[in-house]
Amino acid sequence: MSGSTGPINWTPMIIGFAAGFISRVIYLRTGQTRNPGYPSGYITQLALAVIAAMIGSSVLVSLLGKEFTAATFLTLAATQFFNVRTQERKTLEQEEDLILVPRGAGYIEGIAITYEARNFLAMLVALATSAVAEWNPYAGAVAGVVFVLFGEMYMSGPRVGELIDVEPAEVKFEKGSLLYAGPVMLIEVGLQDSRERYLKEGLAVVLKPRNPRGEAALWNIAQRQAIAHEAAAAVGVQKDVGYPEQGVVCRMAMPQGTGVAGLAIIPVEHNIDKLIQAIKNVPVLESGKWLKIRNTKNRKEHSHG
Amino acid sequence: MADAPTPVMFAIVTTNKDAVIGGMAPVFLAPNEIERDRIAMWICRITNAIAHDLHNGTVILTVNQATSSS
Repeated sequence: MSGSTGPINWTPMIIGFAAGFISRVIYLRTGQTRNPGYPSGYITQLALAVIAAMIGSSVLVSLLGKEFTAATFLTLAATQFFNVRTQERKTLEQEEDLILVPRGAGYIEGIAITYEARNFLAMLVALATSAVAEWNPYAGAVAGVVFVLFGEMYMSGPRVGELIDVEPAEVKFEKGSLLYAGPVMLIEVGLQDSRERYLKEGLAVVLKPRNPRGEAALWNIAQRQAIAHEAAAAVGVQKDVGYPEQGVVCRMAMPQGTGVAGLAIIPVEHNIDKLIQAIKNVPVLESGKWLKIRNTKNRKEHSHG
Repeated sequence: MADAPTPVMFAIVTTNKDAVIGGMAPVFLAPNEIERDRIAMWICRITNAIAHDLHNGTVILTVNQATSSS
């Protein structure tokens, strides 16, 4: 297999392919995006993984074999992966009208970008691994593992739990009809019936940013929509058509502007730990253009928040 | 999308008819607060509207143009 005199040396290609494929498959663990969730989704992703890993691993080999036509075609095939993002976004956007707590455009874009980037990452891992394996197959195998681990670490962005403290809070009403999650005012609930349901069955948490990056993330409305979606996905939400005000709300502590956010939900499963865990696992979106915000009010009001 | 829906006032339910004048939304008069809440809830469930209590005897019902999470 390792004959280096022939026009095609298969070893680097195989090692590169394996590394690229594994790097793509590792991400298939359902988790941050809950997507894919069905066997058909996995099949699509496995097929893409095979194609991406193959393209990445065979470029170098075909160049070394002086097959320039093949190499050109492979780069052409790589550009096809740009469509993957559009495809993914379209699917999720269509789903948006069918779910009661939407993901929000920002979250969808984040998922689509990650989805696309993963394919290119698999390609790059395959390419880099095959390059090392061309020099030495054993070093190639080691490099493959390193690249896969590196890609995995680099591509998993921060989670909400790393930047923001999530604490249980009390559901209460002030001034008759204003819904509060701890110190944070959320919405005005006009119906007595809805207020009673919030008091009886509702759960609330307070999200306190730990650092300027976390605060910037919370001010991003798309981020809070993503949090609301994941919260509803974790504990369920007793909401249906005709009950628009009973559901999930995630709002900032607004008149105070302390950068603390509150979330209230009427869950199906009354489990605060599961709710907090789900919120901590929400990925931090990159769509918020505010990278860091140092709240000047924090010094005064931190003890209160 | 769902991030910033535009609310449209859909109906007004009140026990104090002097507090409301005209407008494009129908005004429902109720004899007391219990009856007002009943009417408001009824219309909410039928039309997917959200009730807001103005605390002057009036409840307004709004419909968000985009289905929102609120």
